[in-house]
Amino acid sequence: MSLAAGPSGPYPGPRGPSARPRTWPPPGRLPRLLSGTGVPLSLNEHLARYGPLPRHRSPGAGAAELIAEVSAAGLTGRGGAAFPAGTKLATVAAAAARPGRGRGGSAPVVVANAMEGEPGSGKDALLLARSPHLVLDGIALAALATGAGQAWLCVPAGQPALAAAARAAIAERDRAGPDQVLVRVTPVPGGYLASQETALVSWLSGGPQKPSFVPPRPAEAGVRGRPTLVQNAETLAHLALIARYGAAWFRSVGVPPEAGSALVTVSGAVPHPGVLETPLGTPLGTVLAQAGLAPVAGAAGRPGPPGQARHPGAVLAGGYLGGWLGWPDAAAVPVSAAGLRRAGAALGPGTLAVLPAVACGLAQTARILAYLSSHRAGQCGPCTHGLPALAEAFGQIAFARPHPRTIETVGQLTRLLPGRGACHLPDGGAGLAASALRVFAADLRWHAGHGPCPAAAASAQEAAR
Amino acid sequence: MTAALTGFAAPAAASAVVVTSKTWLWYATRATGLVALVLLTATTALGVLSSVRWQRPGWPRFVTNGLHRNVSVLACALVLVHIVTTLADGFVPIKLQDAVLPYGSVYRPLWLGLGAASFDLMVALIVTSMLRTRMSYRAWRAVHWAAYLSWAAAIVHGLGTGTDTQLGWVLWIYLGSVAFIIWLTGLRLAHGWPEHTAVRVAAGLVLAVALVAWLIWLQKGPLVAGWAHRAGSTTTSGPR
Amino acid sequence: MSDRLRVNPIACEAHGVCAELLPELITLDPWGYPILAPGPVPPPLLGHARRAVAACPTLALLLNRDENGTG
Repeated sequence: MSLAAGPSGPYPGPRGPSARPRTWPPPGRLPRLLSGTGVPLSLNEHLARYGPLPRHRSPGAGAAELIAEVSAAGLTGRGGAAFPAGTKLATVAAAAARPGRGRGGSAPVVVANAMEGEPGSGKDALLLARSPHLVLDGIALAALATGAGQAWLCVPAGQPALAAAARAAIAERDRAGPDQVLVRVTPVPGGYLASQETALVSWLSGGPQKPSFVPPRPAEAGVRGRPTLVQNAETLAHLALIARYGAAWFRSVGVPPEAGSALVTVSGAVPHPGVLETPLGTPLGTVLAQAGLAPVAGAAGRPGPPGQARHPGAVLAGGYLGGWLGWPDAAAVPVSAAGLRRAGAALGPGTLAVLPAVACGLAQTARILAYLSSHRAGQCGPCTHGLPALAEAFGQIAFARPHPRTIETVGQLTRLLPGRGACHLPDGGAGLAASALRVFAADLRWHAGHGPCPAAAASAQEAAR
Repeated sequence: MTAALTGFAAPAAASAVVVTSKTWLWYATRATGLVALVLLTATTALGVLSSVRWQRPGWPRFVTNGLHRNVSVLACALVLVHIVTTLADGFVPIKLQDAVLPYGSVYRPLWLGLGAASFDLMVALIVTSMLRTRMSYRAWRAVHWAAYLSWAAAIVHGLGTGTDTQLGWVLWIYLGSVAFIIWLTGLRLAHGWPEHTAVRVAAGLVLAVALVAWLIWLQKGPLVAGWAHRAGSTTTSGPR
Repeated sequence: MSDRLRVNPIACEAHGVCAELLPELITLDPWGYPILAPGPVPPPLLGHARRAVAACPTLALLLNRDENGTG
């Protein structure tokens, strides 16, 4: 399919069903975002696979229609907070329309967040590498909906290949007919909190890379005081498809009210780790089966002698700020924000890390808590003091013989930290620790009686090397 | 006013004429000036105690904070009385603008000007504190650092223009106030060490140098006979 | 319509004056930072709450009028 350049962007094709190429994914089937073959889709291939973006009679009418469609689709943010995307778009658009806005003027901006601060997550990097035009379409649509003229596509500074892929894709679009929105690919220094919404906005405004207190939310006043739409790269990719195929198509998979599909990153003790696309609400066992994990009936998560089959002991869902799920009970838990929250974990950025039964969940939790503690911003007292205390106490539980008072301290801290910081780092750390005490209760009793289990001792030795 | 005007001699004959003013206004201005200074010292002390989070079982933080605010307003009120009585008395030839403009006074320009400067800063501190919720915390804090300057200027103003400096008990009040505030400021510099090390060390050095300079000035200036003339008075006044 | 207390955790420097003035609703954690009782401020305590908000040395304590009661 050849392209003719036009002033409205690289999508000059006529509207109507007769213009649709054969290779569009039929409604209701996956893959949606991951349609590629492993090499980056060029603009032509992208258009051949997904079709052109719909054209609108005028930018203003297009904006309202798009926001309505996204709201009807029920798209929620895929960066971890799961905030309704339509509401966010509407808030930014309304803030921009209000007269006499803040010091930065009222022109809104879009921030595409591909920072992916969660160590176990690789979905945003995959999207940018494989289907950058989906993300760029999403940015263009978000700019249309909010009236933004510029956008920042934020990528980790430590992965120059991503920036290169994004810039190449933008260059392709510029040659075919530039987007209405100016997209700046911006490498941002990494760190766990680098992808946090207000920390990213603060950095883009020339300030420190630390979360700020809300209100005002970035949607009201963000980069240099302007209304700012901060959206995860995957969310923008979904936006690109909703604009083409509509809300009903989006909702044809998923379990209401959580509609559509999501990218999950499966890692750990699975035969085929990687990024998968799954309808929301799919049972965890089914998702992990796609990564090659066969359900093991009756297996319990116990540390055993080395050499035993690496079947799962537990699954960490939602990343370092998520929670543990015991295996095989977890197999039935639906992979959705509500389902995972009910089970004591979280969806977060869609990471599912499988812990083998031979490993010690307490040791792993202690290491994660130490990592979180070292990445705290140091702005809020309860987190600055409480998270290291939690990490230290949990270290005692995992690598020493915990005193009952230590275990009690951990319990107290898990109740003391949530809701008392500017971001969700302390909440997440506390939630992770609480879920570990619950899921690994048997291991905890063993540690209390005998000191660190062989698996914990072995992992401590390995970390020391 | 009568007794005051009789003492107004030409500069050439100033050293030969001894004059005292007996009007109640002149006593009032000296008294209110001294009491205001003591209250200003108390305000500054309470402010320092507040910032180092001092408290005792029977003395919670909100008492320190509340007293600090109230005493500062009281001090300011007394300074206003001090200014009004000085102007009304007319013994010293100063005008209304000399109360707020720290230059250009006919009478002991430098030392009076310091009083005006101190008063200006005091007004700025109180006004910004009343508008605290409507300004950024950082801006309010930046202005509030000037409190130390306001107090220091008041001390030097009092010694430079004061006519009772050579009275023993008055001198002790000055020395005691300075010692107290220097000591508290030292505690303030040490509190929270070693954060902001460079600023603390610099401030400590400035404090030490200022203290030494002030002591030298005190020895060679107000405590030496003939200060009134050297300070730029057109009359002599006070006990001899 | 209800009034809710909130702490700006970045501005808070654990002075603890709020807990002195409103011990019914504010307690201090082991490091001196405020723990707020959940829910709206009971009307009899509103005056004390406003006083606590004004007394915070860093203006970290906030009293928000909440129209729909969801905080």
